[in-house]
Amino acid sequence: MPGWQLGLLSRPFVRFLGRRLAALVLLGIGITFVAFVLTELVPGDPAAANLGQRAIADPAAVQAFREHYGLDKPLPVQYAVYLEHLVTGDLGQSEQSHRPVRSDLSEFVPATAELAVTSILIAFVLGISLGILSAVRRNRLTDQVLRVISLGGISMPTFWLALVALYVFFFKLGWVPGSGRLDPGVLPAPHVTGLYTIDALLAGQFDVFVSAAQHLILPAGVLAAYNVGLLTRFTRSAVLEVINNDYVQAARAKGLPERTVVLRHVLRAALPPIITVGGLAFANVMTGTVLVESIFGWPGIGQYAFHSATTLDLPAIMGVSLFVAVVYIVVNFLVDILYGVVDPRIRVA
Amino acid sequence: MAAVSRPRNRVLTSLVVAVAAVLAACGSGSNTPSNHVLVVDKSFDMKTADPQREFEVSGGIVAKALYSTLLTFKGSDSATPVPLVASSYTASSDAKTFTFKLRTDIKFSDGTPLTSADVVFSFNRLINIKGNPSFLLSGIAVSAPDASTVVLTSSTPNPAVPFIIPNPALGIVNSKVVKAHGGTDQPGADKSDTAEAFLNTTSEGSGPYTLKSFSTTSEVDLTANPNYFGSKPFYNTVVIRNIQAPTQLIDIQKGTNEIAIDLSSDQAGTLSGNTSLQVKASPGPNVFFLFANDNPKISKITPNKHFQNAIRYSLDYASYVQLAGAGAIQTPGVVPSMFLGALTPADNAQFDLTKAKAELAASGISNPTVNLGFPSDFTLNGISFSTLAQKVQANLQAAGITVNLTGSPISTALADYRAGTEQLGLWLWGPDYPDPNDYLVFLPGQLVGLRAGWAAGADPSLEALGVQASSSTENTARGKLFQQIQRQLNTDGPFFPLIQPGQVVVATKGVTGADYNPTWTIDVAGAGG
Repeated sequence: MPGWQLGLLSRPFVRFLGRRLAALVLLGIGITFVAFVLTELVPGDPAAANLGQRAIADPAAVQAFREHYGLDKPLPVQYAVYLEHLVTGDLGQSEQSHRPVRSDLSEFVPATAELAVTSILIAFVLGISLGILSAVRRNRLTDQVLRVISLGGISMPTFWLALVALYVFFFKLGWVPGSGRLDPGVLPAPHVTGLYTIDALLAGQFDVFVSAAQHLILPAGVLAAYNVGLLTRFTRSAVLEVINNDYVQAARAKGLPERTVVLRHVLRAALPPIITVGGLAFANVMTGTVLVESIFGWPGIGQYAFHSATTLDLPAIMGVSLFVAVVYIVVNFLVDILYGVVDPRIRVA
Repeated sequence: MAAVSRPRNRVLTSLVVAVAAVLAACGSGSNTPSNHVLVVDKSFDMKTADPQREFEVSGGIVAKALYSTLLTFKGSDSATPVPLVASSYTASSDAKTFTFKLRTDIKFSDGTPLTSADVVFSFNRLINIKGNPSFLLSGIAVSAPDASTVVLTSSTPNPAVPFIIPNPALGIVNSKVVKAHGGTDQPGADKSDTAEAFLNTTSEGSGPYTLKSFSTTSEVDLTANPNYFGSKPFYNTVVIRNIQAPTQLIDIQKGTNEIAIDLSSDQAGTLSGNTSLQVKASPGPNVFFLFANDNPKISKITPNKHFQNAIRYSLDYASYVQLAGAGAIQTPGVVPSMFLGALTPADNAQFDLTKAKAELAASGISNPTVNLGFPSDFTLNGISFSTLAQKVQANLQAAGITVNLTGSPISTALADYRAGTEQLGLWLWGPDYPDPNDYLVFLPGQLVGLRAGWAAGADPSLEALGVQASSSTENTARGKLFQQIQRQLNTDGPFFPLIQPGQVVVATKGVTGADYNPTWTIDVAGAGG
């Protein structure tokens, strides 16, 4: 068994894992509390936000709404009931969709996951490659151009970039489809994972796969732009820090090809800060989805979060908050694990 | 090692290039739908496909396509209800009893005949669910003397009933099937009815389409109903997609949709030279208005009638129309121009800064400062309320009135507005049904009147006119009464009607019948090719 695997299965690691899981539970409860209190502090009324102009003037309709969503109970009771239901996996019923929040999340999360994972993959592949290229060509024309491009990626507002990309690549050039997850009238393959590309492949529906993959290109590319810029800059910086170290010079002196030196010796040493930024990239994707999903008509968690917030849909707000918190904790956990994988010194510590 | 990895990298690179090439070769964004698929882009406010629960714009489009109503309107008309499921109807002279004779040849999409029992079930379910559209049948009892007759009995004279009945929320469901899936029309249905989830997966109506798939966030797919009793719709399949306006603008030019519903007048203006599109811009039914709170507990300044007149004269109405763009008009009263009882442009309020300053001087209030509440994040028909509020602020400043803009997000602004605590308010009223009775809410003691601090008894002559108009059964007389009410509102009331923004519908050249109707927005079954 490789050393790093032994390290992962050691007692300190199990303790570390236990601590993280305990933190996950505590943070989850904390998140629900904060989301609950903040939503209640907003000087608005969920009934006013969800009932029409006539229904809100009808006491019977307002009472029916409040009773249905448990808003007629005192706040501490509402929160206690929420936690009680949470234990059984019941996240409540959304006031905007009239469905269980769990059903909503199971529909929207895969859509966002498909978009986010594709975007992250694009960002990592491009960002790290361009960062390395920029570093090894330091201060040459390639480096200058890449620095400008990466600065552009970080600086451009996502909503603007999305509209420009839609106009250029969809409207003018017609290279890719515009909005939605599939072409109009194309139905998704039977639900297995909720990821349309994967489900289409599993069902052997190649036409659906092609449609889903085409529709992913533009929104995932736009969502990746910021992270490509970020990762390019951090990778360049991290690589430059180690590229002239003695052990790198020694590798070169041994006659190893430059490509091997960079990929095997330089990149590995430069990886910890890149992994840290990779964790941040997930955060950027989660925030970016709200705008990108809106512009590309992508029915994901970002749009759901936006509508939940604007209609004071407390169960949905809590559900989304919990989901995002879990994603952050899991990503940070994976980042910590990866530190240990790439750098034995951290594992020992 | 590097030498070994090179071929592998080449294989990987080739694979990536091949996948990209295949994806590109398999078509691009120009996936033009076939002639028999209608793609409609709409920014969703969708909540449900259950007709007795929906009261949103998107939900209305869907319910209109899936469910038939006793009466309907033709095309863009909303002035003359015509029979649909009913073969005829009569109204009693006191406008309290409405008798509908039903056609006997109508079947639901599963082949079951539609009877009066289904109508009674649907209407009672709407009432007892106590949802957003329940008010439509407030004070109305539903009965069925026989299998092909339905009688609606109103506790008070209600001449608006024939204008309410075409609303898609009064779509008739297959009672037997809906009951079998948890539906009930009994009192307590707000707690015991559980059919909504079922109706979000399957339609149980007799409309021109049936529900193929439903999502509140992505798209709704409809397919033609083989058992539909009317003319077969031109489009076999309808796809209604949730798309934001900026993307709709790009899509409609690219030809990936046939109809775009949410474009603003400005956006539609950019399409004027596009010969492959048809742009229909007409005054919409929403009325944007300003009010000054009449309640002295809310403000010592705003109830002053001279102060209110100063506001009335200081508003540069033409500039609001210009701001709203194509299709918009100045609204002379609170009833929109296409409804019975609407005023004509001759009654338009006039901008006169000199008079405004004179009225302010007559009010005895020097250097007044008031707060203006409005939904700061809300845009409708392409018009941002924040922009409108700034314009009001500038207009009133010119007359010597200082306005503090106290806008807030709509979910919080609504609470202040509905509580009647705004000193000045900038809001809109959209019609619940196309009848002037819907606008009696502006009178003292009524829904919107109270929001402007105008309590019952504040204007007895106007209130008496309101009672008379609401119970009048002869349309010409009703129309005149509503005109009289609005003229009096314009001189004595705390409301300042501003504009009816343009309602824009953009369709590709070949699409016919894409007409805007205030009751259901677009009838997809009426679209032809």
